[in-house]
Amino acid sequence: MAPKTITIAPVSRIEGHAKVTIQLGDDGNVKDTWMNVVELRGFEKFCEGRPAEEMPRIVTSICGVCPWHHHLASAKACDAVFGANIPSAGKKLRQLCQEIAYTSDEILHFFFLAGADFVMGPGADYAVRNVIGIVQSNPEVGKKVVRCRHLGTQMLNIVSGKSIHPVTAVPGGFSKPLTIKERDEVIKMAEEVLQFAKWAISWAKTEIFPKYLDAVKTVGIIKTGFMGTVKDDGSMDLYEGKIRLMKPDGTYEDFDDDKYTDYIEEKVLPWSYLKVPYAKSWGEGFSMDLDSPKGIYRTNTLARINVCDKMSTPCAQKELEEFRKNFGRPAQLTLLYNWARLINLVYSAEHMMELLNDPEITSKEIRVPVKPRAARGVGHVEAPRGTLIHDYTTDADGMITRANLIVGTTHNNAPMNMSVKQAAKTLIKDGNYTEQILNTVEMAIRAYDPCLSCATHNLDGTLPVKITILGPDGEVKDVLTN
Amino acid sequence: MEEILVLGCGNILYGDDGFGPAVTDYLNANYKIPKNASVVNVGLASRGFIFDILLSEKRPRRVVIIDAIAHSDRKAGEIFEVPLSNLVKEKVDDFSFHQGPASNMLKELRDNGVEVIIIACQPENIPREMTCGLSSVVQNSVPKASELIYNKYLRVH
Repeated sequence: MAPKTITIAPVSRIEGHAKVTIQLGDDGNVKDTWMNVVELRGFEKFCEGRPAEEMPRIVTSICGVCPWHHHLASAKACDAVFGANIPSAGKKLRQLCQEIAYTSDEILHFFFLAGADFVMGPGADYAVRNVIGIVQSNPEVGKKVVRCRHLGTQMLNIVSGKSIHPVTAVPGGFSKPLTIKERDEVIKMAEEVLQFAKWAISWAKTEIFPKYLDAVKTVGIIKTGFMGTVKDDGSMDLYEGKIRLMKPDGTYEDFDDDKYTDYIEEKVLPWSYLKVPYAKSWGEGFSMDLDSPKGIYRTNTLARINVCDKMSTPCAQKELEEFRKNFGRPAQLTLLYNWARLINLVYSAEHMMELLNDPEITSKEIRVPVKPRAARGVGHVEAPRGTLIHDYTTDADGMITRANLIVGTTHNNAPMNMSVKQAAKTLIKDGNYTEQILNTVEMAIRAYDPCLSCATHNLDGTLPVKITILGPDGEVKDVLTN
Repeated sequence: MEEILVLGCGNILYGDDGFGPAVTDYLNANYKIPKNASVVNVGLASRGFIFDILLSEKRPRRVVIIDAIAHSDRKAGEIFEVPLSNLVKEKVDDFSFHQGPASNMLKELRDNGVEVIIIACQPENIPREMTCGLSSVVQNSVPKASELIYNKYLRVH
């Protein structure tokens, strides 16, 4: 059989565009795969020369899906640049917005994006394997999902005044206090979201996950390390704490975010705009070889569940214990990202309630003044798609002279490629494949919830490869570009 | 929910792609928006926004989408309406949330009784590298598009 290249372009129901190229060998089996990114951004260069205090507002235009997490990571980086020690209430208001935005995003991903494959099944017709299909086949589920998304928007509007392009987190704190009346209004909505989160994981564990356990045990499986954020007591946190980098064997090291360059190296690959970070502190180099990966770690929901010692909220802790009893620590099965996503959702909803029940949340001491200075500042949060790092350097006037962003999807670039390869090797045999098999390969990517528009900011002036056709010995037969 | 929603879609950091947000900002700053309508700069968040509208029990009567759409037969700055049937269905329309409004979402809206209007502007330049600001020819079209939208779709007759 002649060598053949299968291209899935674009991979859908992810945020942005990607293209998967699967090269078959003479025997019709998978020889190699690549996940290419076909958008570019150039954001870091754009930032240079701009006042640092504008950054939290500008970064919300990087991404329409998780603007809040960029907004908060940027505000934290600015705090560090200006040397600001923000008031406790200001921090709690930021955390509240983080949790509200996070719950909305996890609901979006589980039910609207990756969830469609599970709820409708990977073999369902393409036309119904989406949230419209979910709503039509499960109208009550659809209503609950929409209601909670709506509540998330309402809560953010009340707390911050603006849910789509937020402006309320500022260097030095938060710009709008929460009144007692507003808190009382929001807390009712938050309680409803919490009840939904508890229902969602219970429903998924009984109605969804058991049906697809075979897929969970076979699709996209790789063995890697993990990265996430933990508080000093080892519990998971989405807003602050040390970054924990865990090796595949479960051992780990914790570090402050401004030391990330001591632990992570960013590699540029010739076939992708998306940089590839790897764990340089492990001292083993970088390799995406499925049998012997080197320096590979993952972020996002499963990583957060793996690296933390415990959850600080009761229901999430109970769910974590059940999850670990079933899958161990660290759990490596890629599709478990979706299960972990719901545990993250429960935590976030519980933490949202804790913050709202804290009397300090309505304090008016929420901001301190800041002064420009020449400095470097790093801020990070756990965005839905993984650990999000903003790193700014300013001159004496507070103007940005250098900016570096590592977004969640970028951390997962190498493991996504590896999972695609593993899935393709498992599911494509003797040159035979169907739409269902190809969608299952896409499922391996969707589990990571990638957001490639944010991730692609490595601009070098050329367009990425769109289709590459390789011969059996690896020689380039043809290259088709955008 | 308001009866009429006008949504400005696009990224203000990519040149003329910021046309939609520029129009909604202009409308809000220069026109008295009727009480039964809302004019929103949804920027990059259009898909999530439209999706939530689509799945809501109470939907608006009319949704007006404003976006920069390149068309081979148009001149830069030209304002034109795009029939929904002319939007090409692509696999990327598979309910992702990062691109412009997806044609399948808009068609679902239409099929659920919502009047969907798409007002487009032919961009002169959507740069590959982030660059703020509209080209002068597209900037000049912002008031024209605003007037058209206000008189035809917003003003109470």
